Amino acid sequence: MMEKLKLGVFELTDCGGCALNMLFLYERLFDLLEFYEIEEFHMATSLDGGTHYDVALVTGTVSTRRDLNLLKDVRNRSDYLIALGTCATHGSVQASVEMPIREKLKAVYGDGGNPMGALDSKPVVEYVAVDFALPGCPYDKEEVYQALIDIAKGVEPVRKDYPVCLECKLNEYECVLVKKGLPCLGPITYGGCNAVCLRSGLGCIGCRGPLPGEVNPAGEYEVLKSLGYDEEYILRKFKTFSRWEP
Amino acid sequence: MIIETREFTRVEGNGKAEVVIEDDEVKDVRLKIIEGPRFFELLTLGRHYRDVPDLEARICAICYLAHSVASVIGIERAFGVEVPEEVSLLRELGLIGEFLESHSLHLYLLVAPDLFGYPDAIRMASRHGELVREGLAIKAFGNRLRVLVGGREIHGINVKPGGFGRYPTVEELERIERESEALLRLAKRSVRLFARLQPYGARAGHFVATDGYLWGERLISDEGGKFHYTERIEERSPVYSFAKQSHYMGETFLVGALPRLLLKSSMLTPTARRLFEEHGEKLETGYVSYNNLAQAIELVYSIERAKEIARRLLDRGIEGENVPVEPREGEGIGYVEAPRGVLIHHYRMDASGNVTYSNIITPTALNHAMIEASLLTEARGLYGETDEGEMVKRLEETVRAFDPCISCSVHLVNL
Repeated sequence: MMEKLKLGVFELTDCGGCALNMLFLYERLFDLLEFYEIEEFHMATSLDGGTHYDVALVTGTVSTRRDLNLLKDVRNRSDYLIALGTCATHGSVQASVEMPIREKLKAVYGDGGNPMGALDSKPVVEYVAVDFALPGCPYDKEEVYQALIDIAKGVEPVRKDYPVCLECKLNEYECVLVKKGLPCLGPITYGGCNAVCLRSGLGCIGCRGPLPGEVNPAGEYEVLKSLGYDEEYILRKFKTFSRWEP
Repeated sequence: MIIETREFTRVEGNGKAEVVIEDDEVKDVRLKIIEGPRFFELLTLGRHYRDVPDLEARICAICYLAHSVASVIGIERAFGVEVPEEVSLLRELGLIGEFLESHSLHLYLLVAPDLFGYPDAIRMASRHGELVREGLAIKAFGNRLRVLVGGREIHGINVKPGGFGRYPTVEELERIERESEALLRLAKRSVRLFARLQPYGARAGHFVATDGYLWGERLISDEGGKFHYTERIEERSPVYSFAKQSHYMGETFLVGALPRLLLKSSMLTPTARRLFEEHGEKLETGYVSYNNLAQAIELVYSIERAKEIARRLLDRGIEGENVPVEPREGEGIGYVEAPRGVLIHHYRMDASGNVTYSNIITPTALNHAMIEASLLTEARGLYGETDEGEMVKRLEETVRAFDPCISCSVHLVNL
């Protein structure tokens, strides 16, 4: 029998969704366990961690010194590290508050200083090299399933390189940007979610981060402006999930 | 001497506890929420109302819909918007889905391993596979309701002020009705299983819930009367934690499934009410561990209620019309029952619909002082009676009974 790969799931500061989404694989979680042994996964098991991980999934932003120490330790102890979810890849919403940490702490907790070692929230990719980055708030669970199966088979997982619009068109949804004038970031956002928000007839909010390469954020900006959205609104929308673009 | 637990496992988010021993006695216990601060109120300040519910949903994955619904209700109240029965019923259906998804996660995957002596549900599945699969079946059904109402399993954007992006079809509602019928038997079994739990933790000074079963205009407590949170609940910031603590008129209190049942049993569905009466004696002792039993009874309630709602919507037909929302200067509070207790979203809006003030209080923050009191009671009973490893394990079980959501608790603004 083939020896199983050792898997660790590590949560830095986040909403818990990226760890939870693994459990939403339901029965197929048992299929993954044909290839992997879960060594550490705080949300799901009380087992103490291992010493070495073949694959580590890291979710969340680095928002405290504890997060940073944990991240570096995991990087040192794992062969293949996946930054999982938009917090880990781009910072997501919690990294988008543009105030220095001292001011933020003061506004929320009062004049107590920073005894717990809070840091400005930044994505995992700002601090360590990662082997694969899988965005999404949350990521699509089919993607992480496929990536883990690929790695188990010795194949490098493939990153999506097309915008949300492509999947919107394949599903034959009506274009909400053109037809309804809704602010939709589909043209400049990483696809892979199967255009899930467009299914509800609502604009893409950009939760998978901006697609690099041959996309045209300036064009998107002009379209939104011509629809009557003001500059500050558009810029905030652009930066909501990706203030820390890698 | 200070005994520090490791970081809690099988809970959502990062936290641990410190037990302070002086003169060979347990002097104090501190619950340390070490999850980083997330500053959600600052994130929404200045934002246009239409983007706010989607941002607030990101506070928590387990109960994103409760955050979306609390947020839209807060916004609608600020603007004086009333929604029709159809929209209310659908929101309720989504929140019920969240109860099912969250309670089954908690009971089957996080608590059940303690009952059977396993480190997790995956390892438990080798001998109790049927049970784990039953839990996953309820969870998957709950998530289908969240997809139907919220748009996706986690962080959907379908819930909007005034209505929805997309409304469900007749076929989808018929499927919900059929499936809920099949799942009721499984939920009833879970009540028998979790009725076996022993009493532990502390007994709350007071119980607090919303005045309707899943949301309300005001809060209620065991003392009677309806009130706004600012009238009876006070928040403090401990220096050792990123989460604040709340007290009810200076005393500890509990929010969650147990307070809901104790304060609102008359609103339960028939089978759930019968089960509540059957186990009423235990529940009324008020021990925190019976919160798990209360959650199991709520699984039965949720499945019965989902069926009722689906039938009601099918009988009256879906119109799928949103109520127009006109921004105006105003203030509104949304009180919703998240699976783990009362959730409060409080906003002030300017005339163009931008947020000028926002305060969010989550159930785990409301329960924070109560969790510490329970840890203290347990640690005092266990110290000297068991070895340190056993004590730490039992403390972890005590924290778990609250079904805490640590990620939610770390972004509270000063009142």
